[in-house]
Order: sequence, then C-alpha cells, then structure tokens
Amino acid sequence: MSGESIWQKEITGEDIKRFFQFLFGALKDVFINLYNKFYDYGSQIISRYGSKMAIFFFLIPSLGFISIFYFLPFVLTFLIGLTSMDFTFQWNWVGIQNYIRIINDSFAPKILGNTFFYVFTTLSFFNVGMALVVSLITNHIPDEVGSAVRGIWLLPRITPSTVYALLWLWAARRESNALINWFLGLLGIPPIDWMLNHPWVIVILVNGFVGTSFGMIVFTAALKSIPEDYYRAARVDGASTWEIIRYIEIPMIKWPLLFVTAYQTLSLLTSFEYILILTDGGPGLYTTEVWSLYSYHVAFRSYGGTVEIGYGAALATVLVIIGIILSIIYWKVFKFEEMMSEPKIEV
Amino acid sequence: MRKGQITIQAIVFLIIGLLLGAAIGYFIAPKPTGDIDALQKELEDKEAQLQQIQAQLQDALSQLENLKQGKTITIKVWAIGPDPPSEYRFLNFKLAAEVLNEMLRDLGSNVTIEIEGQFFARPIEWEQYRQNFYQSFAAGEAPDVYLTGHEDIGYLAENNFIIPLDDYIDKYWDLIYYDIFPTLWKSVEYKGQKWAVPQDTEARPLYFRKDVLRQLGWSEEEINALPEKIKNGEFTLQDLLEVAKQAVDAGLVERGILHRVKEGYDYLQFYLAYGGSLWNPQTGKMVFNTTAWELTLNWFYDAVYEYGVISPNQFSGDWDADFHGPFTEGRALFLSGGTWHKGEWIQKGLLTEEEFKEVVGYALHPAARPGGKPVTLSHPLVYTITTQAKERGLDEIAFVLVTLVTLPTFNSKHAVQSAHLAITRSQVMETQYSQDWFLQDVAYMLEYTTFIPNHPDWGKYSRIVFNALRAVETGDMTPSEALNYMINEMQAQIGDSVEFVE
Repeated sequence: MSGESIWQKEITGEDIKRFFQFLFGALKDVFINLYNKFYDYGSQIISRYGSKMAIFFFLIPSLGFISIFYFLPFVLTFLIGLTSMDFTFQWNWVGIQNYIRIINDSFAPKILGNTFFYVFTTLSFFNVGMALVVSLITNHIPDEVGSAVRGIWLLPRITPSTVYALLWLWAARRESNALINWFLGLLGIPPIDWMLNHPWVIVILVNGFVGTSFGMIVFTAALKSIPEDYYRAARVDGASTWEIIRYIEIPMIKWPLLFVTAYQTLSLLTSFEYILILTDGGPGLYTTEVWSLYSYHVAFRSYGGTVEIGYGAALATVLVIIGIILSIIYWKVFKFEEMMSEPKIEV
Repeated sequence: MRKGQITIQAIVFLIIGLLLGAAIGYFIAPKPTGDIDALQKELEDKEAQLQQIQAQLQDALSQLENLKQGKTITIKVWAIGPDPPSEYRFLNFKLAAEVLNEMLRDLGSNVTIEIEGQFFARPIEWEQYRQNFYQSFAAGEAPDVYLTGHEDIGYLAENNFIIPLDDYIDKYWDLIYYDIFPTLWKSVEYKGQKWAVPQDTEARPLYFRKDVLRQLGWSEEEINALPEKIKNGEFTLQDLLEVAKQAVDAGLVERGILHRVKEGYDYLQFYLAYGGSLWNPQTGKMVFNTTAWELTLNWFYDAVYEYGVISPNQFSGDWDADFHGPFTEGRALFLSGGTWHKGEWIQKGLLTEEEFKEVVGYALHPAARPGGKPVTLSHPLVYTITTQAKERGLDEIAFVLVTLVTLPTFNSKHAVQSAHLAITRSQVMETQYSQDWFLQDVAYMLEYTTFIPNHPDWGKYSRIVFNALRAVETGDMTPSEALNYMINEMQAQIGDSVEFVE
C-alpha cells in the first residue's frame, strides 16, 4: 500500500489546533443547547405559573448543590449525634444521651474555656489586630515597600500548612540550638521548653501569622478605596498621621473590620489542624484542646481501637450551635443588615 | 351526506359480522380432550426440567471453560507494621501463595491463588489502619485476612467482623498448631472460642547503655550481671531511678529514662510491677487496682520531679528526636522499649549489629520491691478471618494460607528481620531463627510476660491511663488528683466493665 495511514502521520501543531477547535466548538454547542433548553422551560414556566414559580425553577441547580454539599453534612452530623455510632457504623439511636454526657463531661468546661481563649486571643492580637496594624503601616509607607511587606506576610498562607507547623515545631524545640532558643541564647537567656511551658504562645503565633494575611488583604483594599481628597483635606487642616488613622481611616473601614471579625471568629472556632500538629491538645491533660479538636479526638482517634463517632458528632453539633448563636449576635450587634444592604466603601 | 351514511352502514355491518364470526367460531371449535389444568401443569414441569437441564449444561460448560483457562482465586490480605521491618507479615502470604501454586500445578490443578492487599507502615499508624478496615468493611470490601492486635478480638467478635476459627484450627492442628506456645492461645480466646491465629509476639525489655554504666564506674561483670539481678528482683524500680539520676547528675546523659512518646502499652508494665493486674479472666472484666495505680503514678511523678530523669513532656515528643535518637546516640541511659526496636535501629542505620552488642544491654522491667517479680508485656499480633471472607466462600483458602505462613520457615523471616519472638516451639531451632543471638537471648522473657485484656472497652481504659500519666508528667495534676480522675472517668465511662480492687 502506498501513502501513509492516518496513524503513521506525524502530528503537527496545526492538527492540535484543529482538534481543540473541534473540541471547544462541540462543547460550546452542547452548552448553548443546554442553556437554550433551560431558558425555554424557564420562559414556559413564567408564562404558565408566573414569575414567583420561575424563581424556584432557576434556583433548582444551586439549591441542589447547596443542600447536598452544605446542608446534608450538618443534618447527618446532627443525626449521628443522636446515636451511639462507633466503627461498626450502626445507627443505634440513643436520643439525647450524648448531650447529657456533654453536660456531665468533667472536661467540657475546660475545653470550652480553651476554645474561647484561643479564638479571642488569636482574633484580637493577630487576625484583626495585627492585620489592621500591618495594613495601616504599609498604607502609610511608599507603595513598593508596602506591597513587598504585605507579600512577605502572605508567605505562611501559601506554605503547605503541615510543613509550616512542623517548621515551627522544630524552631520551638527545647534544645539550646533550636531556632528560638538559639536567638534567646544570643541575648543570654537560657533555653526555654516552649512546647511544654508555653504551648499557647506557639499555637497562637502559628495560627495568627497565617490568619493575619486575610484581614490584611481586606483592610488594605478598603484603605485603598478611600478617596485621596479626604487625606488632602485632613493634611490641609493640619492633621497628624495618627489623627488621619483615628478619624478617617478606621471609621471608613468599619464595615470590613466587622466583617473580618465575624468571619474569622467562625473560622477559628472550627479550625484545629495547627493545634493537632503542634500539640495534639497537650502537653498535659487537655492543655490546648479546643472543642473541634476534642470532637475529632473522640470520633476518630483511639490507640486502643475504641472510637465514639456518635459522641463526637454531638460535640460537633454543639459547635455548630455556638457558631449560629455567635452569627446572630454579630448580625444584631454589628447591624450587619445595614452593611449588606448597600456598599459601604464608596463615599 | 349520502357518502357519510354509507360509511357508517359499512362499519356497523363489519362489526356485526365480526361478532357473528367470533360466536360461530367459539361454538364450533374442537373441545380439548383432557383436563386443561393437568395439561398446563405438565407443560410447566417440562419447562422447569428444560431450564434445569439448561442450567446444568451451562454450569458444566463454564467448569469446562475454567478447567481449560485455569481459575484464579484472589485472597485479600491486610497487615500493618507500622515499623517497616515487619513487612513479612504481608509478604509471607505472597511467598506462601507461590509455594501453594507450585504444588497445585504439580497436582495438575488449574487453580491459581493470587494475593492482593497491602502492608501498612508509618506514617500510617494503628488508628488509621483500624479506621481503614472498618470503613472498607462497611463498604463490603474488607480483606479476607486481617492482621490486628489481639486486644481487638473482643470488639471484632462481638460485632460480627470476624469468624471463630476453632474448627479450622482443629483441622490443621497436627500440621503446626499443636506447636504454638500455649500462652499465646490465651491471647486469641474470647468467650471460650479461638478467634485468631497468633502471628508474632515480642517482649518489652528495658534497654540500657553499657557505655554509660562503664563511665559511671560499673565493672564489666556488674554490667553483665544486671539482667540477672533484675530477673532475681535484686534491682528494683527504685534502683532504676537512683542509677538514672547518678548518670544525669554526672552529666553523662541528658535524660535518665526514655519511654514511648505516644499512647501505647509499654508503661502499663510499671503498674504490673506494682502488683496491678489488668483483667480478671474469671469474670471477664477489666481490673483497676487502686493501690497499684497510686504507686505507679507516684513513681512517674518522682521520676520527673524528684529525680529529674524523665522529661516532663516525653509524652508530647517525637519518635526520632525524643526516643530513638537520644538512646542510640548515647544521650540517655535507660529506654523502656520492645524487642522490635532493635530491628528498627539496625534497619534505620542508627546502630550496627556490632555497636548494638557493644553498647546496649537489655533486661526485664524491674520489680517494684526487692525480691519481687520483674515483668514484661507481650502484645501478640494475630491473623483473623473476616465474616466477609466467609460470605465470599474464601474462608477455607484464606485459612490454608494463614496456616502456611505460621510454619517456622515463613514466620522466622518475619521474626528475624523485625526482631520479634518465635511463636512455635520448633521455630526456636529453625535455621534462620536460631542464628539470631538477640532473639535467643530474650526468649526467657516470655516466662514473665503478661497480655492486655481482650475486652471491647479496653481502648477507653487505655486512653484514661494515658491521659492520667501524661498529666502527672507535665505537672497538670498531682498523683492523687490523677488517681481521682482515673477512678471517676472509669466509673463514668466503663463502670460496668471494670472491677475496682484496693
């Protein structure tokens, strides 16, 4: 046979281009068809049942998505919390027994206290406090330097969290040649066993340095959107930098401040991965154990092979309830409704 | 309109004609000659017979096909180290299957046994391994053979995960099972039945650095006599603290005594040395000996705060930096470990065989009082057969493989590489095993050994003990507070499963 078959032909850039043109063309057709179908049904429903029903129709895809991935896990957690489920995954219903056990759990108050301490301290010193300081300072220095500093503050956020935590664990070891103790040694301070004597310091620092970056970005964006006129007017009136911060910048970024506070409260309440890696709730008995970690420990961790998924789920449900209560408080106290109603950045 | 009328007329005639025809047909049709029901039944019978014949034919055909092509039976095995040298817990099945396949071929069979499954090693730890098993079980994909710690048997049996093996073991009793050390059978019994086959066992020695003792001024004779002195109850837990303190005070080591850094069972030996026991085989309940626990908590408190020989955050440490490293580098004097640690140190290159011989000694864990009995603890790992293997009809074949890997030839590969002890009497003389001087040396410890309970609530007992010891070491609780915590938690969580004795 003469001539080469299609399989022997060398593939050129032109072939690849054509292939993708074909692929995208086909995808486009499919998408447009689907869209048209959906649109047609939608219009039919509007004409037949009115626009109220049509709203539901158009919400079906996202409602389905939300109920499967957002709502269902919570319902399952709540239901499992009413069972004594263990590794056998049997639904043995026990009513509210797990909740009674939480009330009688002699360590629940300590762990709840730990949780609030951890959330409050990390939030006020780092996720909001430090974030505000960093964004204010970097807003008042030349922009190139400011951006570079903010970029550096983002590094912990983009480092894989396990690696980042393990690096801290090594830096904070008790030996005199571990990073922190080595620095202290230069100042003549004897080595400190950080993880034993000051575990909270390390836990809060690690979480805080990562958490700061979120607030920093939000605050910086808000600060950048304050019109230059305000600064000029203030300067003309002879305002100092501190007065500009106090009377112009902070009042103007009030809404982002409240948003970051509320959002980070909820996120700190449920996050425990750094604590898990750093102290695993130790070093003593529940020294740094927070509620979410306790729930994880009860549900999934046992050297001797006994786990209590039911009790762990009940603990998790309590955390969800705490989160909902806090959200309502924030909503009411910070008047979030007002914030959501119209943009507050533009002046 | 005329046309319409004609059409209607035609239709009416047609319908009448059809009805008439049907009626005539019905009356002139020939009547069936026999009973119609009987005929129907005969027909159904014939059909059923035909189907049966068809099925048989199909079966025969597929068997013929199997014979022609050969049949592959896949057995799924799961085993864990988590120490990497213990890989023969799984690999032995592959080796045994090869031998078995060779035999089957020689016998003219077309059946081939294939092993699939996994050996789990660090960073996978026991907790994750167990979780994997329960989840795969829930999905109906559990392994046929599941290696686990003997203490799981109560829970696994109680919840229908595994099958009792008495009948299977009896079948091959004379091949190998008669030879298993009788104490090991105790570890696999639950409610009067055997639920597993012992896979290995070990002892937990107290390792010591000979070089450090030499520097402390001990003579070579004194050092070599230490294991014997401990065996005779002449060197007690109190002496252990004193010697460790001397070494720390003299600046020879950073730490006097090292123990494991995570939850486990090693530290239970101190409670056992103080006369405590973990369970009562008569009642099947776990035992909490208040006095023994009080003394144990006090010993740990003294070790950390009076003698300064155990680090207060040893339980939050890192395996390499706070356990293996300090001991193998000579920065610690004593280490409460297991025989398998010797295998781990050699395989990791932390010590060579010669260095180990030169600088490391090993003994039982000392008695609490002079003249008392020293202790060690064994934690036999065992092969179980899952109920899902039985459902798949693979239980017999799985058990044949378990029987093969129990033979000294196979088991010694594991024992030697991972420094675990023999499970059968003849294994002690087995060529590979008998050449390992360390395993020969520590074999006597099995006479002093104890097991942890095969109780479904054992995990909770263990967790409470760990919490209390850790809190005492870090100074979060005094020994008496820790004792109260233990009693309260035991009563609240597992009160029905524990006997409290003074």
